[in-house]
Amino acid sequence: MSRLVKKSPSVCTDLPLSSSDVCNKLHLMKEFLRSSYGPTARLKQVHNNIGGSVVTSSTSSVLLQAIASSQPIISLIRSSILNHVSRFSDCGLFAAVFCLCLLEQAGQCGLRKNVMIKVNKHLLALCTGYLQQEDCGCKVKLDFCSSQSLITLARSVISSKPTCVLTEPESDHISRLAVQAFLLTVPCNIPDTVRLGRTVTITIEGHSVLKSAVFPGLLLSMPESLCFDSLCSPLHVVLFSISLAGDLSEIGDGRIEMHQGVDVDSQILDQLLELGKQVLKDGVKLFLCQKVIHPVLQHYLRCNGVIVIERLGVSLMEPLIQLTGAQPVATLHATIPSTVYGKVHNVCIRQFGCKTLLHLHPAGESAICSMILCHRNETMLNELKLVCQTTEHVLGLTLREPFALLGGGCTETHLAAYVRHKSKNEVSESTSVLGCSQTEYLLAADAFCRSLELVATSLEHDGGTSLIDLTHAHHWTLPSDVTEEHLEGVMAPCGCGVVESCQNKTRSYLDTKYAGFSPAPLLTASPLQATVLDSFTAKVNALGVAVETANLVLDVRYVIQDVN
Amino acid sequence: MKKSLILKLFTHLEQGCQKICGGFCLFFSKYNTFQDLKMLELEHLHLKHVVQLVSALESIVLRSFGPEGGQVLFTRDTGQVMLSRSGKRILSALHLEHPLARMVVECIWKHSTITGDGSKTFVLLLASLLRMIHASATKEPHMSQPYNSTETTEAACARHLADRLLDFALTELDALIALNVLPHGFCVSLEDSTGKTEQSFQTLLLTFFNTRLGNVYCDFFRDLMCELLSHWKIKNDQPSFSIRFLNNNFPAMRTQVSGFPVGSSRLIEGQVIHRDFATPCPPLNEQSVKAVVFSGYLQPKLLTAGDVLELGCGNRATEDGSIVHFSSWTGRSLESIIATLKSFGVSVLLCALKQSSAALALATQTGMCLVECVSEEEISLFAQLSGVTPISDCWRICPEDIATLTFCKPILLGAHRYVHVDFHDSEERLNVKPCSLVICAPGEGQTDQYACAFQDAIRMLLTAWEPMHKSNITALMRTFPSNKFTSVHKDNMGDETAYASCSMNLHETCVIEPGCVLPAGGTFEFLLHHGLHQYGRSCSVSVNTSAVVPVSELLANALLSLPRHIYSHSPKFFLQAQTRVMALIPKQSHTLSSSAIQTEDLLEDGKLSLHSCKKGSMALTLLDLGLESVSCKYHLVLAVLQCLTSLLRVNKVLRTHTVLHTKSHKLLNTCSESTEDEDEDEVVSL
Repeated sequence: MSRLVKKSPSVCTDLPLSSSDVCNKLHLMKEFLRSSYGPTARLKQVHNNIGGSVVTSSTSSVLLQAIASSQPIISLIRSSILNHVSRFSDCGLFAAVFCLCLLEQAGQCGLRKNVMIKVNKHLLALCTGYLQQEDCGCKVKLDFCSSQSLITLARSVISSKPTCVLTEPESDHISRLAVQAFLLTVPCNIPDTVRLGRTVTITIEGHSVLKSAVFPGLLLSMPESLCFDSLCSPLHVVLFSISLAGDLSEIGDGRIEMHQGVDVDSQILDQLLELGKQVLKDGVKLFLCQKVIHPVLQHYLRCNGVIVIERLGVSLMEPLIQLTGAQPVATLHATIPSTVYGKVHNVCIRQFGCKTLLHLHPAGESAICSMILCHRNETMLNELKLVCQTTEHVLGLTLREPFALLGGGCTETHLAAYVRHKSKNEVSESTSVLGCSQTEYLLAADAFCRSLELVATSLEHDGGTSLIDLTHAHHWTLPSDVTEEHLEGVMAPCGCGVVESCQNKTRSYLDTKYAGFSPAPLLTASPLQATVLDSFTAKVNALGVAVETANLVLDVRYVIQDVN
Repeated sequence: MKKSLILKLFTHLEQGCQKICGGFCLFFSKYNTFQDLKMLELEHLHLKHVVQLVSALESIVLRSFGPEGGQVLFTRDTGQVMLSRSGKRILSALHLEHPLARMVVECIWKHSTITGDGSKTFVLLLASLLRMIHASATKEPHMSQPYNSTETTEAACARHLADRLLDFALTELDALIALNVLPHGFCVSLEDSTGKTEQSFQTLLLTFFNTRLGNVYCDFFRDLMCELLSHWKIKNDQPSFSIRFLNNNFPAMRTQVSGFPVGSSRLIEGQVIHRDFATPCPPLNEQSVKAVVFSGYLQPKLLTAGDVLELGCGNRATEDGSIVHFSSWTGRSLESIIATLKSFGVSVLLCALKQSSAALALATQTGMCLVECVSEEEISLFAQLSGVTPISDCWRICPEDIATLTFCKPILLGAHRYVHVDFHDSEERLNVKPCSLVICAPGEGQTDQYACAFQDAIRMLLTAWEPMHKSNITALMRTFPSNKFTSVHKDNMGDETAYASCSMNLHETCVIEPGCVLPAGGTFEFLLHHGLHQYGRSCSVSVNTSAVVPVSELLANALLSLPRHIYSHSPKFFLQAQTRVMALIPKQSHTLSSSAIQTEDLLEDGKLSLHSCKKGSMALTLLDLGLESVSCKYHLVLAVLQCLTSLLRVNKVLRTHTVLHTKSHKLLNTCSESTEDEDEDEVVSL
């Protein structure tokens, strides 16, 4: 009551997309995100104005979180893309850039917003329908018999994040590790539904990336170096989820009054030692606790040859339960039933730089593995950890839909050519369904295709020009120092690496008009060997989210901002 | 004592106001202490201010009205983004300072919470009526009352008009609707699911979603809604009952998932409990699962607040006195409860409260899975669907408390993992197939918007199929001045006579039937405009009160502003629509015969057969315009007029500034109507 302040009036904006201020902001955001897109992206350093930590990154999740804008439209787009990223981890920048390009193109073509929205939605359905088709020209079926396509997919994700500063062999190494870790988390004896295991990542600073490794089982950091005798396998494990520090946390809100001579601490400690005795009697060799263990109990157990690890934290509990099969104990008072004990096959100590880690080998089949990531400094290491998590997620998504899309901008140009062709051929059917004129429809479709092509163009940051070939509609880049005359000699394969350079292909610049054609699928006997692949599930969703967010922004007619 | 003093003072003030101009005052204050009243400020309200105020609201709402309307985007002070096309949400999200504006928003909020629809139309109609009243009040300031200023004359005139409008609407509006509008509409029955009815029902929903969500997703959500309704259709029971059930339990039935395209929205069987398992997930097995619901703690709390545990008095050496003994007692009690549950074969525990870690660990060890902090709404839905009651006393568990589920498994929806259950033999027991709605959209603002639209669609259906109260009808018949019409009969000749007599006949027997719909796009307004116009003419001829402005004319013209707004993007369409609707209305002489036929029909089966009206012309307009409920429209017009009357009764605003007990004398404008209780202390501004 005493801190009531008169609220300031809301700020209202009528027809926000017509205001030049909003348009400028959207354009700025587009240029900002565009320059962070792809493997040759320009890195961004994020500072805050009160001297917090400096983050260097080019990933969408980091960048979008950093650009908090007071403009509601920007924050609307931002939250949509962040939601997508939190579900799929990948293709965030694609979605953001595509969405912003759609908005800019819609502004330029000057059609009624409702028509734009309808046509966008129609073309989105056309695209997703085509991508789901069996004979889609830009889709590759993943072959789980060999790990090659999975490694390609992982490398595409990893190499698209230049902040990691990886050399060619380093990114190969990390890609292989990511696939190895992923394969370790897939359980072998599969029941009805697959429940993937967990990769626990441990980061170590100051070592070469090539020292990174993956181990089955769990690595727990040890408080101090300890030596233990060779232990016979398997080892019994007990896991506590409550504090064993001797406090009484769950007693309630009432007061306790003590008379003289009562020593509650010693009573509880006696109880703890009682527990220790029982555990020893049951032959437990590994004593783990989520929270703190009383030093006396620790000492007692260590003296009797038990490995004691405390303060594991809640995030390690689930993998530990899965690995050991132990059930967490949460009471001091009852005798511990023998069913709650878990097992590990063996333990050993591993030394990584300054860190000493206890390696728990699983007793039987287990889908838990640990990944050690090394890098030279903290910024790169953070980015590398983020990238590995993204890769794990992307690989996990392939289990649901075993496909990948051609990377390097080829999917975008291919889709654009397909949509151009389709929309031209089916113009009368579509316009009757959508209730707009043919001119309106063609203009809106052109804006849509141009936006898709702009996304492909955004991959190039070194002044090169983007081309499209007029047979397969793949994406090619022409370096800035090469002129068109000696084009044939130096032209590398297309963006995704499927189509080789050859003389008889006509190409067109992406920013010029070209005659519509139906992009031909590649007819080869062997499965396509692309060098860059994108996640199918993530990209299809990103496409949907981008178009729907753009539609939403187009539909906003009035903005009311509470500025308190 | 202070309060009574204040009250006395207020009644005194009020009387004073009554003396001056016969109006009411609006008070704003927080009467904490008597001294506060020292700072009373008096502000006169002029009619033109009221008009300006409502016009300001109108201009905001107008952006999202009609087929060319769009969304309104909000950001809260928390940075949260909200999107809406619903007038109710737009207006209630505004921080309005002016008390009258807040009063209007309050009226709209109340109206659309009940009917779920019509909040934008509310503002537009109100603004238009106010403008009409303003115009006619300023035009003829010839009232003979002894007022000295023109403003008070205007205000009194306006108030008088508003009262008469409301009076008119309460007595005659439903008769006019029955006579002029109903013959052009038709009834959609919820029971009957034949082709045409089904189609009209879907069109009704489509129109609703179109006004609420724009035309891109309206057919998708229409289909989803129809599917939802068909799943929840309780066999052998009234359909309105199942809609009411949906209305009550909707918050527990929907799950909002952000980060996916809208097209991923779907229905899933069973119920989703919006919590994750607190213990490891249950193993998947084919057999049914037994579950219980707890409303309390499994492990008793040893010491509640205020209790004192005394340690060490008396036999300090023995075991019993130790603290360990006390805390182990709760553990043992927990064990016995879990053992009882185990003996019943229970494997899922749903708890309303957070349980102790000992309870979680013990449940895990026994192989049960536990879900904590389940919300009250979800427990209530679960209880209704499973037929069990939540257990409050853990010591009394009987077999009736145990529900049988077909499955209980984790389900991953967006970022969260929830618990997904389905009920055993629900089809035989409850005659329904329980299902939940998953609403997907790229952002939270949108999922919220879609969820609100669903809830409002359910409310709209409830209003549309709400049966009219019988008492209302009889009361109406009593108050209806039938002698007035007989006088018309005597005074006039020819067509007027026939018209009046037949309208009287109709009035006695016809009410707005539940589920009556009409093509949207201004049809209701055009028809009622025509009806009111005719009525006005007949009145002005019969009752010779030339001094009085015909209120029906006023309402008729105000109504016409709605279709004007709908077709604001091209006036050509407005004229086309008007001509099309007017073509439905037969010429004057024609009306006689058709009404006469209808009256005969009516006498035969005692009830107006609505299907007898021209189907051919209806079918023409039905497809492109959509449908809307007549009942909702009727309620809307009444609500607007009520709001108008209360708005114009206010003629002064008293602002009281509360002196806060701090050094900085912050301004506190708290709104409270004189008759209502002192309410929220939020400070607002436009």
